[in-house]
Order: sequence, then structure tokens, then C-alpha cells
Amino acid sequence: MEKKIGVFLQCQNRLARESIARILQKRSDIQVVHGRTATSASEEEIAGTNPDVVVLDSLQLLPEEEPVAPIRGLAESRVKRILIAMPDDPKHFLKAIRRGAVGYVLCDASASDVVAAIRGVGQGDAICPPHYVRLLFEYIALLATRYPNRQTKASIGLTSREQQLIPLIGRGLTNKQIAGSLNLSEQTVKNHVHRILGKLGIGDRLDVSEACETQLLGM
Amino acid sequence: MSRIKVLLANRPRLIRELVMATISDQPDIEIVGEIQEEVQISKAVEAVRPDFLIVALEKSNRLSGICQTVLRSFPQIQIIAISSDRNSSMCYWASLHIESHQIECSEAGVLSAIREKTRPMNRPQ
Repeated sequence: MEKKIGVFLQCQNRLARESIARILQKRSDIQVVHGRTATSASEEEIAGTNPDVVVLDSLQLLPEEEPVAPIRGLAESRVKRILIAMPDDPKHFLKAIRRGAVGYVLCDASASDVVAAIRGVGQGDAICPPHYVRLLFEYIALLATRYPNRQTKASIGLTSREQQLIPLIGRGLTNKQIAGSLNLSEQTVKNHVHRILGKLGIGDRLDVSEACETQLLGM
Repeated sequence: MSRIKVLLANRPRLIRELVMATISDQPDIEIVGEIQEEVQISKAVEAVRPDFLIVALEKSNRLSGICQTVLRSFPQIQIIAISSDRNSSMCYWASLHIESHQIECSEAGVLSAIREKTRPMNRPQ
């Protein structure tokens, strides 16, 4: 027999957690390894029960957002997190993705949608409501036009640290805010910004994203 | 023995289905209906005459106008309100006024609130 999908339930609502456990216990391919209410479980506690999937009912229960989302971290970290009973709010959804969730189930979903999401995520898929797929397409398209990718930025002669700074500068963050989010000193950020403006040949830091694009397009 | 009749009317859908999963496993409790919109409550109560009505718990912990009317019209009914995001649930019933008390937001809490209705004199005030 195939290995069961181990599920760690971490829900603010105890009744919801107990009911989900009741439903999951009837599925032969799923095993609830631990249930916990309200307070946030530590990473060590979760890792200790060795789950495949962690089910949460609140964005607040997700680990804190990383300053710069580590894309490869998603595939590497073994524990996959699903949010359930979520509001139908794209901002909420994108925030969940940035915080590393790989499943998003709406509060208007059915109980069997939760089971299907656990199975899907357990098999390595990412699950979201179908109408959010379009949102993802649009979001990626927007990112692609806004922030040139690493390879193309390298062709302008920017270091990887400088490339990392471009979207942050473009978003209008101050040197101090950038320094805080990247754990650098303010003076270091100032130096980087100065060099970026020099390489792009512009005077205004708010023009960095646009200047990057125009240079890449050969204009 | 006749089973205790429960009408489910709480939102959102996912929480309603989870409550349904718990209740439908109980041999002594029967789900007599499921409704999605609060406006359908009065009609459904009239039609199926449940012992319990389950609704969503408002942020204020107050019972909606529709539910208050149901309790006044059908004083033998009790209402259990379950929060979808907080760890909170309440039981309401009508005597001279509408009374309420907190119940544990857990399977055991909700199920015992339903089963203890047969002994209303024991209910904590």
C-alpha cells in the first residue's frame, strides 16, 4: 500500500479542526498526525510530527513573510501548507502565496474540496480556486513587464545585489526601509543606489524600473 | 426513540459542511435540512420544525432579527450559533426573554448542548 499523507491540523476554530479530523479519519489514504488549536505551533513542533501537509485556517498562522521570497525554498521545504476557510480576496491569496502556502481553499468551498486539496498538495501540486488561476497569469505578466528578469538585467551590467534592489527602489521604498528589509546598512544601500543610477544613466531613483526596461528594449 | 432534529443554516458553506460531518455521525441526532441563506430560515423552520437551528455567530454575539423572531414564534426551538473564525459558540433560547449562554466551540461542546436540551432546567444561567 502507498504511504499515507500525514496531516497536521492547526486551526483557530476548534470545532472546525475536530470536524476535519473526523472527515480525514475516514479516508484510507490520509492520516492526521496532530491537531492543535489557536496558538501557533513552532516549526520544531510541526517538524517533530513529520507531516506532509499542514492545514491552517488563518493567514496569521503562517510563518512570517521573508523580506525577499525565496522561490527555490518552496520546492525544497518538505512541509506544505494549505489555508482553508479563506475569504475570496485576491490580496489575501497573493499574500498567502508569498508566505509560502501551496493550497488556498475558500470558505465557500465544500468539505470534499478540503480533502481534494490535501490529496493534491500531498502529491506535489499547488491548489487554488479555478478563478484565481487567471489572477496568477495576470500577476506574473505584470511582474514580467515591471521588473526585468535576472538574466536581462545582468546584460546591463548590474550585480545580483543591484538587481535585487531594483524592484524595491521602484516600489518607492526609502534607503532605510530597503536596508531594514535586506539586513544591510543604510550607507551600503545608498552606495548601491548611487551605482545603479550611474549604470542606468538616470537621476531619479523612481525611474529605475522604467530605465531598466528601456535599456533592455534597446531604446 | 425519536431523534433530535437539527436544521443547519450557518455560513460559510465550509463550516456548515464540517458541522454536518460531525452531526451526521451521531445516531441520536438527525439533520432535517440545510439552507444557505438566512432569509430562508423562517420558511424552513416552519416546514421542518427542528429542535435545533444552527446559524453563524455574529461578531457582536447578538442574534439576528430573523433568529429572534424564530425563537419568539417557536419557543420550543433552541439556536446554536457557531463562529467561523473565532473559537466561540453560543446557545440561545426563549423563555420570557431571549436567553443565551456560551458553549465550548468543540464537537463535545456543541453535541452536549444539543443533547442537554431535554433537560433545560439544568442549563446554566
